[in-house]
Amino acid sequence: MGVERRSTLASAALGRSAVPPQAAVEERPVLSGVTGEILDISPHLVILENPDGVEERLVIAPWATAWHGQPAVPADLPIGAHVTIRARQSGRVAERLWGDITRVTGVITSLGTDRRDLTIELHCGPHRGKRTVVIPYGASGRIRVRHPQLEPGYLFDAIGTRMAGVTFAHLPATSQPAYRATAVPPPPPAYGGVQSRISGAASWSDAFDDGEAGAAYPMLERADSGCEDAGVSCTGLPYLALGSMLYVGNVCEGRASVLPIVACGCMAGRFCDRCVQCGTSPRGRIVELSPVSFVELGGDLTKGCFNARVGLG
Amino acid sequence: MTVEVATLATAALVLLVLLLLLGGVAKFATAGTDAAPGGLSRLGPGVLVPERWRKPAMIFCAMVEVVLAAGLLFTRHPVPRWATIAFFSVATYVLWELRRRRPDVGCGCFGEASGSPVGLRSIGRAVALAGMAVFVTLVPVSGADLLSGFSSGLVIALGAGLALIAFLSPETEEAISRVRYRAPCEQRPAPAPKALSRLRSSVEWRSHQNLLVSGEPSDTWRELCWRFFVYPGRSTAGTEADVVFAVYLSGRRAAVRVAVVDAEGSGRTLRESIGVSAAR
Repeated sequence: MGVERRSTLASAALGRSAVPPQAAVEERPVLSGVTGEILDISPHLVILENPDGVEERLVIAPWATAWHGQPAVPADLPIGAHVTIRARQSGRVAERLWGDITRVTGVITSLGTDRRDLTIELHCGPHRGKRTVVIPYGASGRIRVRHPQLEPGYLFDAIGTRMAGVTFAHLPATSQPAYRATAVPPPPPAYGGVQSRISGAASWSDAFDDGEAGAAYPMLERADSGCEDAGVSCTGLPYLALGSMLYVGNVCEGRASVLPIVACGCMAGRFCDRCVQCGTSPRGRIVELSPVSFVELGGDLTKGCFNARVGLG
Repeated sequence: MTVEVATLATAALVLLVLLLLLGGVAKFATAGTDAAPGGLSRLGPGVLVPERWRKPAMIFCAMVEVVLAAGLLFTRHPVPRWATIAFFSVATYVLWELRRRRPDVGCGCFGEASGSPVGLRSIGRAVALAGMAVFVTLVPVSGADLLSGFSSGLVIALGAGLALIAFLSPETEEAISRVRYRAPCEQRPAPAPKALSRLRSSVEWRSHQNLLVSGEPSDTWRELCWRFFVYPGRSTAGTEADVVFAVYLSGRRAAVRVAVVDAEGSGRTLRESIGVSAAR
């Protein structure tokens, strides 16, 4: 039996409403996340093939911007690039395009050099396994200034591009935590009961299926999730399960949605950082979203995080 | 009169041995765990030595304490007694110095448990223990006297001594608050087998047992303070159904809820019910 029925069964047993309460009615225009492979692009129109193999046509808004390793003009995105788009008007008008964007989050296992470039091998958790990332010489200063400990055992988090099977890191996604991946600080002691909504930072990850909407949550029971690294967090998070419905709210943008937990956020739980996109979030990554869900909640993929509140949906 | 002095000395000896052993074991435990990074830098005299010596210093201190405790307990030789006086005198000086130079760090006397900054009480405790060490040096008693000279007077002296030490220990409050502010059930790990045995002994289990097709749950998961078990079964009408049990994970007589859900469900899948990506 899949985990999809868990939410329904739990609601039946506890007498909760079977339909998860919808997030507060949004007055802001709805954003949608679209992914696919670019078939053709011009200054005003992009044609792409979505993960289901269906062709989609989006108008590119005059104010639209793009990113392809660096800020770019939308029409300059190469044909064949895998693109993630933030769109308005029920997904018809593209206003932000990210080409071939990827994010590498993991524990450094070894380092090497390839001429002037730096190559890093990372362990990215049981889902992503091992990944190799190349830091081009031109980006190494930017990465190093936020990752002072480029040594095995320390955490690494960067945003980059994936082209022809090679991952390049271009931007640091966070300031590297000062501790080793095995020494995550314990959560602060909880006084009294659990709050129904917990604040922290939400990040994104590409460990999800293409175009999937969902979240990865760190605090899962190891035996249930089959993930030996789960259940670690420096925030006092309550235990949930794969299949639980998670309320995720973007504090900066005032958007919220209810997403299913589809993976364990083993790596997210090890980061005890803050997000400084608008104000400073409390410590700790509390959820990792799929790129589509992240974009739909108003996040900017190149910024890497937003201040979030989560709770059981 | 001499008997009373010996009794007091025995009580002092028991307290000294007890505290030395507790301190030694707690220090070993703290040094052994790879606690929070820089955890040792907030503890005890270790902060007065360079960082790479902190762990060895703590282990050395713990070893000295255990050796002193054994020496006091098993021999009447003056060497461990004088060494104990020296140990607690040095400890008093070090704590005083620590309070002056690093008022933010804990004494580390009991490892991680002694995280609160050094105060007059910690220093007072070291002085009291040094006094007790002087006492057992003047009246050389050992563990053998504890067995032979057991009396109600000894119990009273021991109780008074323990009360004094408890009053002088900031760790007592720490321990009380740790018990009082235990992590809520939602954040505590809870093993599934315990919840299963609670389920098996519940009224709900017995009343729904005849509906179950299999004795093994087809799925189990935990959400907040509830653990769910799903068993394949049949509804009272005879159609295929899933029997869901929910067991509360806290308390001795924890609540158990049960529901029988049609195996076909309402035909709704999760994705359709939430409308997260409905705009696409």
